[in-house]
Amino acid sequence: MKNVVKKFPGVTALSGITFDILAGEVHVLLGENGAGKSTLMKILSGVHKPTSGTINLGGKEFTGLTPKDSRDNGISVIYQELSVINELSIQENLFVGHLPTKKLGFINTVDYAQMKEHTKELLEKVGLNRDPETFVENLSISEKQQVEIAKALAADSKILIMDEPTTSLTSSEVAHLFKVVRQLKKEGKGIVFISHKLGEIMEIGDRVTVLKDGTYVGTKNVSDVTQDDLVTMMVGRQISGSYQHENADFNKAEVIFEVKNLTRRDGKVKNVSFKLRRGEILGFSGLVGSGRSEMMNSIFGAQPRESGEIYIYGQKADCLTPYQSIKNGLAMVTENRRETGFFHNFNIKKNISVLPFIKKSSGGGTVGLISAEQEEKWADEQKQRLNIKCYSTAQGITELSGGNQQKVILGKWLAADSQIIIFDEPTKGIDVGSKGEIYTLMRKLADEGKGVLVVSSELPELLAVCDTISVFREGEIVATFDRKDATEEKLVAASTAEKGKEKKRDSRK
Amino acid sequence: MTAENKVKQNTLSFKQIWQRYGTLGILALLLVILAVLKPTYFFQSSTVTQILSQSSVNILIALGEFFAILIAGIDLSVGSVVALSGMFMAKLMVSGTTPVLAVLLGIFMGAMLGFLNGILVNSTGLHPFIITLGTQAIFRGVTLIISDSSAVFGFPAGFTKFMAQRIFYVPVAALIAFAVALVLAFLTKKTKLGRNIYALGGNKESAWYSGINVKLHMLIVFIISGICAGIAGVVLLGRVGSAEPAAATGFETYAIAAAIIGGTSFFGGKGKIFGVVMGGLIIGVINFGMNLLSVSSTLQQVVMGALIIGSVTLDRFVAAENRR
Ligand SMILES: Nc1ncnc2c1ncn2[C@@H]1O[C@H](COP(=O)(O)OP(=O)(O)OP(=O)(O)O)[C@@H](O)[C@H]1O
Ligand SMILES: [Mg+2]
Repeated sequence: MKNVVKKFPGVTALSGITFDILAGEVHVLLGENGAGKSTLMKILSGVHKPTSGTINLGGKEFTGLTPKDSRDNGISVIYQELSVINELSIQENLFVGHLPTKKLGFINTVDYAQMKEHTKELLEKVGLNRDPETFVENLSISEKQQVEIAKALAADSKILIMDEPTTSLTSSEVAHLFKVVRQLKKEGKGIVFISHKLGEIMEIGDRVTVLKDGTYVGTKNVSDVTQDDLVTMMVGRQISGSYQHENADFNKAEVIFEVKNLTRRDGKVKNVSFKLRRGEILGFSGLVGSGRSEMMNSIFGAQPRESGEIYIYGQKADCLTPYQSIKNGLAMVTENRRETGFFHNFNIKKNISVLPFIKKSSGGGTVGLISAEQEEKWADEQKQRLNIKCYSTAQGITELSGGNQQKVILGKWLAADSQIIIFDEPTKGIDVGSKGEIYTLMRKLADEGKGVLVVSSELPELLAVCDTISVFREGEIVATFDRKDATEEKLVAASTAEKGKEKKRDSRK
Repeated sequence: MTAENKVKQNTLSFKQIWQRYGTLGILALLLVILAVLKPTYFFQSSTVTQILSQSSVNILIALGEFFAILIAGIDLSVGSVVALSGMFMAKLMVSGTTPVLAVLLGIFMGAMLGFLNGILVNSTGLHPFIITLGTQAIFRGVTLIISDSSAVFGFPAGFTKFMAQRIFYVPVAALIAFAVALVLAFLTKKTKLGRNIYALGGNKESAWYSGINVKLHMLIVFIISGICAGIAGVVLLGRVGSAEPAAATGFETYAIAAAIIGGTSFFGGKGKIFGVVMGGLIIGVINFGMNLLSVSSTLQQVVMGALIIGSVTLDRFVAAENRR
């Protein structure tokens, strides 16, 4: 790609970027939220037409690609919002658009036997141990991603673009993904890898190109740089590491939030109790599927609970629906923000103001007038606070970069000015610099006497912000560590301890 | 942000211009075509009155339908609601109830029918398409039963006279439609209720997590649709002078068309009341124009269908091209 420029109404997303992909390498694309990474890749996949510049694919020169050009030239994209079709089986997903056929008399029919055989091979390659006829809706996020990769292989792609593939994966799933990526590399595929996690980049990348505000900063061999170099290249400054107060002691502090004996009928949460004290940030660690998000959903009233009591500042609170919870001063930044946080039809302002408007109204959130002034104020506050990159808060949210969309959703929950805030994966898709700002913000909220609960799959994140970390396993809190005693090893050990394995062994017998 | 970015902000893209003035443009274009083709008939004082009075019923129904589509649903029962609430009103009037009370009760009937739709959608969890397809038949059936399959007429003179009035070329029917449109425009733009309905239409899950009472809002939407159909029933009674058991059959199609031509998204969450009124007027003008050009009624259907598909395709095409 040479001198690629892309202008959107109001913004120049890319100003003259040159980027190349070699066979058999992992080329990392790095940059702050809104730097233009996704846009550059969308030009390659034919979603956007470049304003100017050329694209050279295996000797052929293009001034713009259609999605079909892109596919025909062996490019596959694994978007962060996965595009598998839930209603189809794995094999149908892999071969949709180019189903294998066989002749049955005069007509061509789908050759399911061949399709299944072929699917099995591909799934083996990506290490997914599933029946090809399983419906995709029954798969976990990481399994769906594996299906996406298999799909790219089925199309015989030469270039695979992965836009933030690891944001929703656990560390073991990431390790698995990397194994597959290395395999693909060996087979001579070119891979573009976008991620905000520097550790991953150092591990998997061969070369790294840094973008900043749509301009090209530089390309380096990963082996020649340190993480700090990369941060300096993309942010232009260094970032500090920890956000706790030294020698903080919460034992005598007032309990501001308490959950007693929370149980869900589906067994995903079993008799969980915990307390949060003034000034403390409480984190929850555990494997995906250990029930942390389920617990938070049940506390917030978004999903039903069988039993359990919730106390906010010592007062028993009902919290049986999100509305009740919000009224009671609870907020929850949900994990799947696209599905449960986001209004694609609203601009930034409207997305942010939904919550405060609901909170300050009666009759199930229906009664009252919209105040344009208020709305403007709330939106501007959050824009400043979270450093949301946009030219106006009247801009549609879908026009923002992934990370900035995440920030808007964060802002929406912060705008409600709640007493207790649950952050489920707070920095998903957010760049290194902004992460630090969000951690500082969380600490500030806690210092102001607000309750901050954090669920995160990123152990460094929990270790950087939390004062106390509880480990979840199979719907129960199995261990709780003070920050000073906690290490990554201990947290991992607690979340995968023997008990789990024994159970699995039993069930296999 | 650079200075360049700031400047660009003020210039509208083609897409934005199309979104804002597209329907108005189509309407103007249609009027010009008619004026050129039939100048002698077109430039009459009665033209405005006729177009407005023909469009009123459709605009009213479409205003309610708009909300049903806004939540990514649909209301196929509106035609039957017009008929049933109209029949109910007519029966009340001929049996001596004062027109004002009869009209109010008729509109209330519309609201109740909408309420029923809403309750059914909420309790079964089925798509509104299925529910309202069912209630469409049920409401029509009930209309036939209570009317004994025959028309009801002979309303008090006060009612027919009032409905036949016009204020400076504008018939009362149109005034009613515009008044309802104004109220609903206020609702969609300035109230939390309206904002929540858009939110719900955009993403139901997000709406639930944001504390919006999803079922309550769905219910309210169907009640609004029912009320609008009830008011349309009043207007239709006034225009026709009788309540027919088969009245307003198929009117849901025109209502849906008006909403969609007016820019309402079938996927929910997007659309404006102003657009719906424009959509209703466009359909009214097309109807009027085809009568003027003496297109046979059978051919009219074909033309109408083609125009609906054409205008919506054009709209989507323009939007898609601009996104790239
Ligand atoms: N469809 C669009 N319309 C207008 N502006 C857009 C559109 N898509 C992207 N942009 C703008 O282009 C710029 C680059 O966005 P892009 O999505 O490429 O960022 P990114 O580097 O992928 O960031 P992130 O790490 O947050 O995902 C941003 O300023 C964004 O607001
Ligand atoms: Mg991106």
